[in-house]
Amino acid sequence: MVRMKSRRDLLKLDDRAVAGTVKAAVARTHGDYGAALCSIRFCVKYLNAHTGIVFLRFPKGCYKLLWSALPFITSIESRGQIIPCFFNCLHVGGTIRTCQKFLIRYNTQQLHRMLPKCKNEEEKRQIQEAILSCSLTGRGDEELEDELESEEEAGE
Amino acid sequence: MRSSAEEAESSGYQRVVLKNASPHHYLKVRLLLEDESPRVSAVDLKSFITSCLRGLHGEVGAALDVDVLTYDEETLTALLRVHSRGLVKLWSSLTLQGSYQNRACAFRVLQVSPFLLALTGNSRDLQLD
Repeated sequence: MVRMKSRRDLLKLDDRAVAGTVKAAVARTHGDYGAALCSIRFCVKYLNAHTGIVFLRFPKGCYKLLWSALPFITSIESRGQIIPCFFNCLHVGGTIRTCQKFLIRYNTQQLHRMLPKCKNEEEKRQIQEAILSCSLTGRGDEELEDELESEEEAGE
Repeated sequence: MRSSAEEAESSGYQRVVLKNASPHHYLKVRLLLEDESPRVSAVDLKSFITSCLRGLHGEVGAALDVDVLTYDEETLTALLRVHSRGLVKLWSSLTLQGSYQNRACAFRVLQVSPFLLALTGNSRDLQLD
């Protein structure tokens, strides 16, 4: 599970652009051998353009090759635009479920970290309303993340 | 280990097993080309080996420390030295390289050993008449 940090907006990304960029980086760093080994069951499982979180799935035996190739990615090309970005690996998990649990914990930590930085009471009130209105079903995660993203924009 | 020491005392014969004996591995390789001209210098050979490594193993492979210890331009035979961890990468890249400057080529690996002294003698060249 990796997180992308970007200067410009990530909203125009799609998973094929990310997958293509990662495969090209692995091929550059580890050659034909690395490209073949890592692309056996490689896919982008989840991409959240708002918060910049990407879940990548690949065979467990070659995670080191992929992990070592990620810092060499400097930009993603998507729909004719070159977006400079940086991949930061947050968590390596065996199943999507563990990654999801980590993501929930990570998002709550981010929220706690950013909440004291709110500039005025109006934003605080809005965020509190949004969080309280989150339901406990699966949709709650998305709303939490959208609020996190708007909070990041407000924080910047 | 203790039993071998006892055997040494009794019979005067000792067997010593070294693991990871040498940090480097030495390869004697020969480059076969389709035609003989033009000549391949030592520098050309070194850059060719680096490009072979880059093709199969990427930038990480190209960063591998390979030294050309000796090179004979007439027979295109070279003695290479590489760290033991990089032996598999180097050997596989040399084996799978098929072309040099758009000419067909092949690397023949004649001898491999962790000890340089072992490459002085080759029982394959022995004449038994």
